[in-house]
Parts: sequence; C-alpha cells; structure tokens
Amino acid sequence: MLRRDINELLTQTGPGTPMGELFRQYWIPALLAEELPENDAPPVRVKLLSERLLAFRDSDGRYGLVDEFCAHRGASLWFGRNEGSGLRCPYHGWKYDVTGQCIEVPSEADNSSFCQNVQLTSYPLVKIGDVLWTYMGDAAHQPPLPEFEFVHVPAEQTYTSKRWQQCNWLQAFEGGIDSSHVTFLHSGGLKTDPLFKGAKGNEYNMKDTKPFFEVADSEGGLFVGARRNAEPGTYYWRITPWVMPSFTMVPPRGDHPVHGHFWVPIDDENCWTYSFDYHPVRALTDAERQAMIDGHGVHSKNIPGTYRPEANMDNDYLIDREAQKRGDTYSGVAGIAMQDASLQESMGPIVDRTKERLVPADSGIIKARQKLRKAAIALRDEGVRPPGVDPAHHRVRSAAVVLPQAESFLDSCRDAVTATPGVAQSSV
Amino acid sequence: MAVPAASRVTPTAAVPAAPGYPSQSARAASAAESRFRITVPIAPARNARVVALDPAAAAVARSVAGRPWAHARFYTCGPVPPGVPEGLALTELQGSGAPVPLPELLEGTDVVMVLATEDSGREQAAAIGGACWARAVTTAGVVLGDGFEADEAVAALRPYARVLLLSADEGDVVDLLTALRV
Repeated sequence: MLRRDINELLTQTGPGTPMGELFRQYWIPALLAEELPENDAPPVRVKLLSERLLAFRDSDGRYGLVDEFCAHRGASLWFGRNEGSGLRCPYHGWKYDVTGQCIEVPSEADNSSFCQNVQLTSYPLVKIGDVLWTYMGDAAHQPPLPEFEFVHVPAEQTYTSKRWQQCNWLQAFEGGIDSSHVTFLHSGGLKTDPLFKGAKGNEYNMKDTKPFFEVADSEGGLFVGARRNAEPGTYYWRITPWVMPSFTMVPPRGDHPVHGHFWVPIDDENCWTYSFDYHPVRALTDAERQAMIDGHGVHSKNIPGTYRPEANMDNDYLIDREAQKRGDTYSGVAGIAMQDASLQESMGPIVDRTKERLVPADSGIIKARQKLRKAAIALRDEGVRPPGVDPAHHRVRSAAVVLPQAESFLDSCRDAVTATPGVAQSSV
Repeated sequence: MAVPAASRVTPTAAVPAAPGYPSQSARAASAAESRFRITVPIAPARNARVVALDPAAAAVARSVAGRPWAHARFYTCGPVPPGVPEGLALTELQGSGAPVPLPELLEGTDVVMVLATEDSGREQAAAIGGACWARAVTTAGVVLGDGFEADEAVAALRPYARVLLLSADEGDVVDLLTALRV
C-alpha cells in the first residue's frame, strides 16, 4: 500500500507537480510519425502531461509541437490552415511557425514588429524511428536524443502501435513490471498468439505457475528477474528491464520479435500506451507485421481512424464467457493488450493505493514506486538529474535464458540485457 | 471524456455496446465511483519476522525496528550448530535478549524477511530459508550493497526466497514492510 500523499505525488503529472517535472526531464513519445504522414498534413491535437498541444509538419518537413490555442483570442489552432511553412489560425489569420513564433498578424501594419513579441509555448518534436519524440522541460537542460533500440533498428525490423488507455499512467505502467500475472491472465495467449506461441520458454511458464523474483537496481531503473524451474539443475529466467520513467520490455519468446511499452500520461486519468515489436537482426516477416496490425502480441486492434481499441470499457471489452470457460482465454477478454488494459482500467481512473494488500511478489512494483518517488523529490528539492535521462541507460534489452541454479541472473546476463547492434536477443 | 485527438480521426466502426445497465458495465469504474470502494478498514494481516544475518544488516534492522509496526519483530542470529540448521538461535532486538530457537520464531509467522550485506551469514541464510520452506512460510531477502559482497548469502537464499531484492538503498526495508502492512 501507499500513503495517500505518495499516491498523489506519483500519479499527478501536470505542470508544476513533482512527477510532472520528472517526466519533463525526458524525451517521451508525443505521437506516431504516421499521424503526420506528409508535409502540410492536417495538424494533430496532442494532450501530454495535462498540457493541450498541437503537432504539425510544415511545408518544409519540419515538425512542431505548440500550444493548441491561438495567442490572439484562444481559438484552437487545430482548425488552422497548415500552409506556406506555418500554421494559420482561421479566425483572424494569425500565423505561427514550428517553434511557436508568430510570423504574421494580418491586422497589423505590414512592417509591424508586433508579431515578434508573440510566441506560443512550444517543444521540440523529433522523428526517431516510427515515433515523434518531444522534450517538455527546460530548454537549457535538454538531454541528448533517446537511444532505445526499437527506434534505431532499420525500419523493416520494427513496428510500433499505440492505444488510448483510460486510466492513470502508473497503474498501466505497473503492469509492465508485474511478471507474476502472465501465468494467469495471459496463459491462453502463450498457446495461441502468433507472436508468442511455439517457444520452449512457454512450456516452462506453463509448468511452473509460482515464479520466484529477483529485483535489482540498474543505472536507468530496474531489472526484474522472474525465475521458474526448467530442466533439473537449471532455472528459466525472464528478465524485464525498466528504464525510468516508463519504458519497459517484455522478455522474448523463441525467435519471435522482442516487444515492450512506453507509457505516457495524457492527463491524470488517461495515458497513451505505445507498444513496439522489433527484431535486432532480421526484418519482420509479412506474417509478423500483419499479426501486429491485427492486434496480436502486445498490440491492440483499434477502431479504424483512431487509437482507441475496439474492445473497450464501453462494450465491456467484448468479453466472451464461453471462451473463458473453454480456456481459450483466462479472463474472457481477447488479446494480451486488452487483457491488461481491461483490468487496469477496471481499477478506476486513479487506483486508491491506500487500500492495497501487496505481497512479496509485488516487490518490483514496490521498488519502482520508491525509485520514482525519490527521483521526483531529489529533482524538486536538489535539482538532481534522474536515472534514465542519459541515453546510455536506454541501451537495454529484455532476455529469456536458462541458467544453472547457482548462477545469478545479473552476473550471467550482463551481455544479454545490453542492446548491442547486430547481435540477436537472448531468448528461449 | 472524448477520444483524445488523433489525426484523421473519424470513428467509423460500429462496436457493439455492452449489454445491461450502465452500473453493471466497465464504465462504472469512474473516478466518483472508485472513491467509494472497500470502506472496511484494512487490518495488518501479516506476522513478519525480520532477521539480520550480519553486523551491518543488524544496524539497519535496529534502525528500522524503531519505527511503529503492527506485527513485525526484528532479530539477529547466532552461529548455526554444525549439522543442525534448525538449532539456530535468534535474538530479538527489542526483547529481553534471550535466544529464541528458530522453530519457535517461525510459529505463527507468515513472512520472514532476511537482511544481508555480506557473506558471513550464508549458513544462517540457508538454515532460515530451509526452515521457512519446510513450514510454507514466505521468505523474502533484501541484500544491501552492490551484491558482490553477499553473493554467497544470495546463493544460499535463492532456492527458498520468493523474492530477492538486490539494492543499495536501506529504505527498501522500510518500503517493503510498509507495503506489506506489517
């Protein structure tokens, strides 16, 4: 359980809040590159960390992320005209460039300097891989660009999707470091999901339903090792890295692509779940890519034209009680992503952690909360740069390995949990 | 709230609505509703025993023991009698100082947290782990430091401890016990 004040500290990410300031130390996903597919594409409303922003790509291919509202009378620039290297408010014609600088106020004299003094709040927006990343902190402390492997492998080796999740970011993220739920909630998917099935490791998963856990600090966050019995004298380890604030990877299965998530607060009651799959050394097959598009693995099938899952709280996630009875799915909800989301959203928009009854197997979650709390307070009180900002902390991977029982997963898997270009993932 | 904006968003798919009443659907998980859940006070439910395996771990245990806990008790341990692991005796930090035999300590206990900073307590780790395992008492280990000084203690605990937390942060002991409501 958490004290109420700590729960509020961890879950509130608006401007001026400790956790909001923590998130503003990092490059975070703002939207998918596919949402701005061409120069002068329609602008996109982007709400991040409770700030209402607008993303656009100008006539010269430059990306901008600016305050959604015109500095003149507060109209939404989403209705604007994206043309001539800028975004023009359709109300009175004020025009802004990608930095938020006003470059034209038609009602003023031609040579007026008025617009030079009009500047919208803006943040950098940079395309790396399939994701447009932003940094919403102090420009003087802007860190180097992110180096997560999933956005740096060649395009044919990676796929990223996103979905709207109707709950606070923390309860969504905590699912990403909670290895003990896999044996139950996702047991159906281990047998049938095209992006999971067939791996030797799945057999260990299903035979040993009471994993042991080891949680260890890393420079950027944590490694959470889940251990199950394998052949006599050996353990099957599944190692999940967490990089602060909210990047996690799922341990791989066989030669399937490696996957993971990045959770980004929209506001305190909604978040974006970015889900990715990539293979470090080969292109994704057509079948794999299609399975991802169809919502298998960690991805969701979304309502066409939106990033809202088809199975959502308005339709009780299309729960199928017969499938649950047959054992096709454990909860009756189809798909790994929505199995997680349905339960996380069912907790309420912001779960009341004063009422929890945690067990030792929740130690990864307990430790992650502690690290977030300490980092947010150290930043607020002493200006300490938090873990996970340094791009060197991003070069991690998940791993699945079989080790002799006497070996420590950390000592034996240093290379396996380090992202090394051109080297395949360690997987069973 | 409305669907957060995405480009080119024009929801077109006809997704079936949930059957039944709104209060019976997942939509009932609103902020207003969630404030009224589980109104019964939650009583501390675990009898926890915290055992320090070495002198530095004992200093941490002593510090943590000074906080208010419901059912947690804190101990140091003596040597393991050769060939008799259950002959291990422990001393309660805030008690009379009289040794408590390991089997007696585990009576009515449902979680044991073992603290270690180095390897001198590896035999005690194995003895406690084995005794807990035999009695279905959940065991957790917190290893403070960089882990290298206590690698043998960790190896001794690994077969038994449901959770091992390898940490440089003494605050983990407090946070773990607090989260477990002991």
